[in-house]
Amino acid sequence: MGTREPLREREILRYRKRPRIVHAMLASSFLILLFTGLVILWPALSGLAAGGFTRWLHRVAAVIFMAVPFVYWFADREGAKELMIDSFKYDRDDWRWLKRFWSYAFGHTANMPRQGRLNAGQKMHHALVMLLSASIVFSGLIMWFFMPSLGPTLQAWVVVIHDLSMLALTLLLVGHLYFTFVYRALSGMTRGYIDADDARLEHAKWVEELEAEAAAEAAEETTEKV
Amino acid sequence: MAEYAFLLDLGRCIGCQACVASCKVGNELGEGQQYIELIEKTHGEFPNLSGGWDNHRCFHCADAACVTVCPTGALFKEDGLTRLDRSVCSGCAYCTEACPYEVPVMWEGKSSKCDGCAATVSAGGNPWCVKTCPSNALAYGPREEIQAEAHRRADAMRDRYPNAEVYGETQLDGLGMLVVMPDDPELLDIPIDPKTPFMADVWQKVVQPGAVVLTLGAAVLAGVGGVIARRRHEEELVVLEVERVIDEADEADVAKEEEG
Repeated sequence: MGTREPLREREILRYRKRPRIVHAMLASSFLILLFTGLVILWPALSGLAAGGFTRWLHRVAAVIFMAVPFVYWFADREGAKELMIDSFKYDRDDWRWLKRFWSYAFGHTANMPRQGRLNAGQKMHHALVMLLSASIVFSGLIMWFFMPSLGPTLQAWVVVIHDLSMLALTLLLVGHLYFTFVYRALSGMTRGYIDADDARLEHAKWVEELEAEAAAEAAEETTEKV
Repeated sequence: MAEYAFLLDLGRCIGCQACVASCKVGNELGEGQQYIELIEKTHGEFPNLSGGWDNHRCFHCADAACVTVCPTGALFKEDGLTRLDRSVCSGCAYCTEACPYEVPVMWEGKSSKCDGCAATVSAGGNPWCVKTCPSNALAYGPREEIQAEAHRRADAMRDRYPNAEVYGETQLDGLGMLVVMPDDPELLDIPIDPKTPFMADVWQKVVQPGAVVLTLGAAVLAGVGGVIARRRHEEELVVLEVERVIDEADEADVAKEEEG
C-alpha cells in the first residue's frame, strides 16, 4: 500500500485518484452505452439512431467499458485486488445486515450491524454488476461479430438477453444513485473524501481500522522522536 | 384505409426478368441493389421435372416480422403493404434476420427491400413490375379484387394443375402478395407455414415497453424515497453529533474532577 493521506478532521479519504478515474471511465462509458442503446429501444428516440452514428458511438463506448477491468488492473493493482477480495467476503454482520436491508434503504443506519469498508449491499452490487457486465459484454460481442450467422430465433434470444442485462444494470444504477444521495457519498467519487460521521455510521469497522492504523503510526512517530 | 395487394401468377411467369429490370430502373436502385430476384427452381429427374420461377421479393406480410423487430420505425405497414423509409433506418439489420422469406438485405449500411413503389402508386401509377410484365403475371389493386382474381386464375388452371392454389391468404395473417401457385409452394422453396420468431415478439411487445416502464418507475420511486430516506439519515447524523457533544462534556467534567 502507498502512503495513506492523513485523516482530516471531519473527512475521511474514501477513494484515491486512480480508482476514481477508473470509476469515471466505467460511469461515462455506461451512460453513453445506455443512451445509444436506448435510441434503439425507445421508438420516440429512434430517429437519432438513423445513419448509424449512435451505433458507432455505442461500439466506441463498448470498447472503453470492456477495457475498464484491465485499466483498473494496470492502474491500481492493489486496489483492484482489494476490491475483488472485499466484494466476495461476507462475515456474519454482513448476513445480518442484508436481512435488515430495508431499514438501511429507508435511511436508518444507527442500529444496523456494523460494516467494514464495503457494506453487504455494496458487495451484492459489485457481484451483480460483474455478473451482468459479463452477460452484456458476451451477448454484445455476439451481436457485433456473429449476428448474420445466428438465424432469427437465436438472434432474438441474444437481443433479449442483452436488453434484459442492461435493464437490470440500469435498475442497479438507480439504486446506486439512490444510496449515493441518501448517504451523501458523491464526494467520495469526486474529491475522494467523505464526511467522517457518514463513514462512522455506515462503515464503523472500517473507520475503527483507520483510526487504529493512524494511532499506530502516531505511536511509532512518538517512539522515533524519543 | 383501403388495403392493397399484388397478384403474382406463377402459372404465367415466364422468367423474362422484365420486372427485375423495370423495378431497378424505375426505382433508381443503386449498383448491386435489387428488390426482385427470379430464381429458377427445378425438382425431380428428367423427364419428370417440376418447378418454376421463384419470385424472390417482399410478400408484404400483414404480421410482418421485419416491422416487428425494426427498432426505428423505418419499416412500417401502410395500405396493406410493408414500406421502408431508408432515411430513418439505423442499419441494425434485425429485419434481415427476422424475415421468414429472407427478403430484406443490407445495402450501403441500410435495409433494402421492395416498398410497393410507394412513390409511384401515390402519384396514381402502378408499381413498376406490374406495368412492365409482358405475360400478365403481375397485377396490383384493392386486396378484395386481387383476391377474387387470384381465385379465378387458380380455378381456371386446375384442369392442368390439380394442385393449383392461392398462396398468401392465411400466411402471417395474410400477405400483401397473393400468389397463384400452380403446384406445391415447397417446390419453389417457399415455406407453407412461415413463422415470425416468437422471441422477436417478446422483445418488441414485452421487453421494450416493460423496460421503459420499470426504469422510469424505479427512478420516480427512488427520487421520492431518496428525499425521505436522506432526511432520516441526516436526523441520525444529528443524534451522533449530540452524543459526541455530550461525551466531550462528560470527559471535560471527569478531567475537571480529576484536577480538582
